[in-house]
Amino acid sequence: MTTTTLQQPGAPAEHEEHPKHNLTGFIIFLCSESVIFLAFFSGYALLKTSALNWLPNGVEGLEWRMPLINTIVLVSSSGTIALAEHFKNRENMALFRGFWLMSMAMGAYFLYGQAVEWSGLQFGFTSGTFGGTFYLLTGFHGLHVATGILLMGLMLIKSFIPGNYKGGEQGVQATSLFWHFVDVIWIILFLLIYVWQ
Amino acid sequence: MTIATFPPEPTPEQGWGRYFGFCTDAKVIGIQYIVTAFFFFLIGGLLAMVIRGELITPASDLVDRAVYNGIYTMHGTIMLFLFIFPVLNGLNNLLIPTMIGAPDMAFPRLNAVAFWLVPIFGFLLMASFFVPGGPAYSGWWSYPPVSIQNPVGHLINGQGMWITAVALSGVSSIMGAINFVTTILRMRAPGMTLFRMPVFCWTALAAQSLQLIGLPALTGGAIMLLMDLTFGTSFYRPEGGGDPVLYQHFFWFYSHPAVYVIILPVFGIFSELFPVYSRKPLFGYVYVALASFIIVGLGLIVWVHHMFPSGVAQWMRNLFMVTTMLIAVPTGVKVFAWLGTLWGGKLRLTTPMLFCLGGLFNFVFAGITGIMLATVPVDIHVSNTYFVVGHFHYVIYGAAVMGIFAAIYHWFPKFIGRMPYEGLGKLHFLLTFIGANLNFLPMHPLGLTGMPRRVSSYDPEFTFWNVVASLGAFLLGVSIIPFLLNMLSAWIRGPKATHNPWNAIGLEWLLPSPPPEDNFGEEVPTVISRPYGYGSGQPLVEHQDEIERRLALQEAAA
Amino acid sequence: MTSSSTRSINTTAVVGLSFWVGLMVLISHWMGQQAHRWLPVQASTAAPLVDDLFSFETAIGTFVFLGVVSVMVWVMLFNRAEKYDETDAIPIEGNTRLEVIWTAIPFVLVMGIAFWTIRASDQLGTLGPMEHIHPRNPVEEAGGYLGDRLPAEQVEVIARQWSWEFRYPGTTVSSTELHLAVDQPVTFRLVSEDVLHGFYIPAFRVKQDVVPGRAIDFNVTPTREGVYRLRDSQFSGTWFAANQADVVVESAEEHQEWLQKAARAPLQPGLSLAVSEYATRQARSNPGWATVPPAPPPQVNVPGSPAQPHQA
Repeated sequence: MTTTTLQQPGAPAEHEEHPKHNLTGFIIFLCSESVIFLAFFSGYALLKTSALNWLPNGVEGLEWRMPLINTIVLVSSSGTIALAEHFKNRENMALFRGFWLMSMAMGAYFLYGQAVEWSGLQFGFTSGTFGGTFYLLTGFHGLHVATGILLMGLMLIKSFIPGNYKGGEQGVQATSLFWHFVDVIWIILFLLIYVWQ
Repeated sequence: MTIATFPPEPTPEQGWGRYFGFCTDAKVIGIQYIVTAFFFFLIGGLLAMVIRGELITPASDLVDRAVYNGIYTMHGTIMLFLFIFPVLNGLNNLLIPTMIGAPDMAFPRLNAVAFWLVPIFGFLLMASFFVPGGPAYSGWWSYPPVSIQNPVGHLINGQGMWITAVALSGVSSIMGAINFVTTILRMRAPGMTLFRMPVFCWTALAAQSLQLIGLPALTGGAIMLLMDLTFGTSFYRPEGGGDPVLYQHFFWFYSHPAVYVIILPVFGIFSELFPVYSRKPLFGYVYVALASFIIVGLGLIVWVHHMFPSGVAQWMRNLFMVTTMLIAVPTGVKVFAWLGTLWGGKLRLTTPMLFCLGGLFNFVFAGITGIMLATVPVDIHVSNTYFVVGHFHYVIYGAAVMGIFAAIYHWFPKFIGRMPYEGLGKLHFLLTFIGANLNFLPMHPLGLTGMPRRVSSYDPEFTFWNVVASLGAFLLGVSIIPFLLNMLSAWIRGPKATHNPWNAIGLEWLLPSPPPEDNFGEEVPTVISRPYGYGSGQPLVEHQDEIERRLALQEAAA
Repeated sequence: MTSSSTRSINTTAVVGLSFWVGLMVLISHWMGQQAHRWLPVQASTAAPLVDDLFSFETAIGTFVFLGVVSVMVWVMLFNRAEKYDETDAIPIEGNTRLEVIWTAIPFVLVMGIAFWTIRASDQLGTLGPMEHIHPRNPVEEAGGYLGDRLPAEQVEVIARQWSWEFRYPGTTVSSTELHLAVDQPVTFRLVSEDVLHGFYIPAFRVKQDVVPGRAIDFNVTPTREGVYRLRDSQFSGTWFAANQADVVVESAEEHQEWLQKAARAPLQPGLSLAVSEYATRQARSNPGWATVPPAPPPQVNVPGSPAQPHQA
């Protein structure tokens, strides 16, 4: 660990937040946030392996084809957001905005697909531990997707402020990190819920 | 760096108002945390007096059984979430930036938000006393199914408010932890490598890392508990295929490390204060610093020792017993290092030193009963009895709270700018030490003979030790009076403190008392040696003589 | 200072230290012996194992505690700064050899204790298999005993808010006072109908949570005749403290006699302090904070006596 000095020429008043610390703080937050999912995942695995009858009466299992398409869309959006970041670094704002918007749209499509799936299911939140964990995991993840889309929207608006990204914009980096995080969580979730039946 | 304009102009008196508003100065937030914590400490203490009043006789005769259960639940909850954690975060806020030479925390606004959540969830928890059905009554563990029975049947109920408050406390702690970790990692003074950092910062870093890893698991578990309670899901409900033991895993995965979140900074306080008051360097600084992180690693894999009788397999019991035992090793390293520091020193038995010595005494006792509790057959006999209650009160009150008192007496002159009174401080120490031992020692024989914890009535054979414990508790209740008197009168009209009244080594002691708003500002001294250079004659920072000369001049002029 | 005087000082120190360590060993040994007296009477095969382990730990713990406190008292007496002495002490920053020693010794010590403990636990073997079961349906089983549900050698323990019910194998006897034959191994099948409870008999040194949705097998061999207390050890709600029962350990003949007599007795409400206290409480104009109502007392052949003296 190297030491850092505090003096920054022309630094604003001391109680301003230092941008380079924001990213550090955000990464720490993501690590911490992943533990909640880890808790839910292990709870799911434990309840499933010890259940006497896991699926509620009349439920055969989960349909996996549409969720798979959803998965592909969401995971590819990780690629588009990386492209967007790449173009932002090249200061090509038009392509940045294009790919950024595309990632948002793919996230929104995922949420829509999720909503369609939910509305077609024969079990509810209170249908035993299966129903409970299914809605808890997908719902909590969906909440993160929605948050990610909101953050991206915020960054998109900020990109129209002239000169906003001149000194490197950590908000974009953080949002993109968050989006990758949401994608990785979904892959684990998909494996746990849809593949392991 | 230069010290051209050092020391900075003292910040003009800003009055009391800023302590009641949204202020982003870590030193103000620190004091806000500590004062709020002690407000709730008095409430939690009052509840403890009711508990001990009930238990002074075998029958359930002082309060109704339902009321008793609510009171002991709220006593534990308040003491942990509204006293210990906030008071430690207060110390972190005061000490971390000044010790590492940072002008403030990394995220001052987040810091203020984290603080203001405390009174908010504190209010929520207090309000639960007044909702129909009363507050949560299922213990601070809130084990389901008892905690999801909801006897009053309303959507708004004490247990639901309890879970919400605990979740908010978690949010506040996570915000704090992100802030402390970022500050320590990114904002240290020039020259202050990790191995030149004071041990308090090491222990704070370790403790806050534990918060970041552990708390989300509890939050996840609490979300599921709230769903079961409110929406009728069945994560923990056996009728719907749920598993009540799953909750215990979530709960203890965080709540055992929570003990280290509490005790690690107190180890930090001991490591800071023993060198000052025995005028010797900390013995084996590197080992003490690293031991904190070994405790973090082991602390995350011991939680099942709270669940030995809960229905876990024998191999799991053995495994978690071994990991629990191993924690004794890094903890022992610290205890022996403190003894090595004291040995051959020139001891000054000031109030903070007495609190440290008393705290160490109690901690060693608690560590020994801790080893007993780790061994499965003995634990099976005494778990969920008063033996455990005695053990953790020795840790929390006997060691942690004593250490916190030591820290308050030690750093009070620095952050308030006035000296606390030694006579009152020593009286406070004496009452606390005797009261704590009189209160908590009798709990061990009670547990060994089989008195379960959380009971509102007991068989008559347990009466004698319960009476002794209750008398000790009342003495402990009285012991807070000289403390409050001391703090209030010293704050208002205590003698002015110099910049370094204890002749201590550390960046915080190279600042005026109280420090200006942005601490060193842009003139952060360059650190050139390890902390605790007592007796070595080596300066801690460049231009140390000049800095101290100017501080003395400023004090003489004032 | 001459070398001989240094040696004589060292000799004094060594003799003094040896004397003190010897004294600490004696005190620790004595405390280890005393530890047996802090525990209830030994009434099961588990009790001596637990007590010996506890006694051993008390002795080791006393030695460590005395060692640390001796150093603290020594420095407080002899290493105090003189009045007005503002100077620092000799700076000793550490000693790697000492660090290694005081890391290694506790490590070996705790691993030794762990090894002993694992062996003791194996010998105890109290915990049998656990199986997940569907929660019982109280309505279906109200007011009677379904003897054919049970393996013949198990005593079924049913925990409720707030009463204990015991059903005996090979008979149709049920009671709210547990009767066991001395020196006969018994396996309990622990089930709960509502929340977590703790099956705790201090005189036996055994404890096991009773988990709703599981049937837990649990083995004990009582070794001493007498009356002991069974206490609920896992918080179970309002009348948790009152959820106790008596355990009567009697000779094999007396036990058979009791079973035969009990089989002839009619079913009647078992002991439940919670039920009567709840009735008094609800009669008040303002019953206070909410509580779960107690389950009706189980219908049993032998309720037992609420006021018989117990030994632990």
